[in-house]
Amino acid sequence: MSISEIAGVGFLPSQSLEAIESRAQAATQTAAQADFSSWLGSGIDKVNEQVLAADKQVRDLALGRTQNLHEVMIALEEAKLSLSLMVQIRNRALEAYQDILKMQI
Amino acid sequence: MDYYTAFAISGSGMAVEKLRLDVTAVNIANANSSRGADGTLYRPLRVVTSMRVDPRFEDALRAYGVPLGGVQVDEIRPTDAPPRVLYEPGHPDADDRGYVTVPGINPVTEMVSLMVATRSYQANVVALNAAKFMAQRALEIGGTR
Repeated sequence: MSISEIAGVGFLPSQSLEAIESRAQAATQTAAQADFSSWLGSGIDKVNEQVLAADKQVRDLALGRTQNLHEVMIALEEAKLSLSLMVQIRNRALEAYQDILKMQI
Repeated sequence: MDYYTAFAISGSGMAVEKLRLDVTAVNIANANSSRGADGTLYRPLRVVTSMRVDPRFEDALRAYGVPLGGVQVDEIRPTDAPPRVLYEPGHPDADDRGYVTVPGINPVTEMVSLMVATRSYQANVVALNAAKFMAQRALEIGGTR
C-alpha cells in the first residue's frame, strides 16, 4: 500500500503567495493609474477650470467689463453643477471604500 | 445633448431679449429727436432674429435629424413707420410753416415690446432653471442625502 503525495486542495495554486501578491499589486497599480485615477484627476481638473472661469467672470463683472449679466450667472451655475457632480462621485467612492473597510474577513 | 447645451440655448435667448430691450429703449429715447445720426430722420428699429444652428450641437443634429440650436440676431432693421408732424413754430428744426418732423414712434407699441422682451427673458430663465433642476435631480439618484 502506497500513500500518494497530498496535493494542494485547490485553495492555493502551485505558485507562491508572494508572486501572486506582487502581480496583483502591479496590476491594480497600472490599471488604476491608467483608468480611474487619471479619469478622476482630469475630471477634478476640469471642474477646477470651470470654477476658476466662473470666478474670473465674477471679477470681470465687478470691474464692469461684462456685457451680459446672465452669462456670469450661467457660468456660475455650470460651475456649481460640475462641483456637485464631483461631490457625488466622491461620496460614492468613499461609500465604496467604507463598504470594503467594513467587510468581514 | 448635455445640460450645458440647454444652458447655452437659453443663454442665447436671453442675450437676444436683452438686445431687444436695448433697442426698444433707444426707440423710446429718440421719440422726440428731430434729427437722426446721419442727417436723416431717426426711424424706429426692430430686432430681427433667426434660429442658429450651433456647431456645438452637431451630435444632437445627427442623432435626431433636425437642426438644434439657439437664436441669433440677423439684423436691426429700421421700420417704415410714417413720421409724426408737430406744429412747433419756435423749434430750430421747424420748416417754413412751423412744422417739426419727429420719428413715428408709438409709445404703446414700444411699451408692449418692452413687456414682451421682459417676459421672454423670464421664460428663458425658467427654461434654464428647469434644465438645472433636472440635472440636480439626476445627481440625487441613489443618494442617501
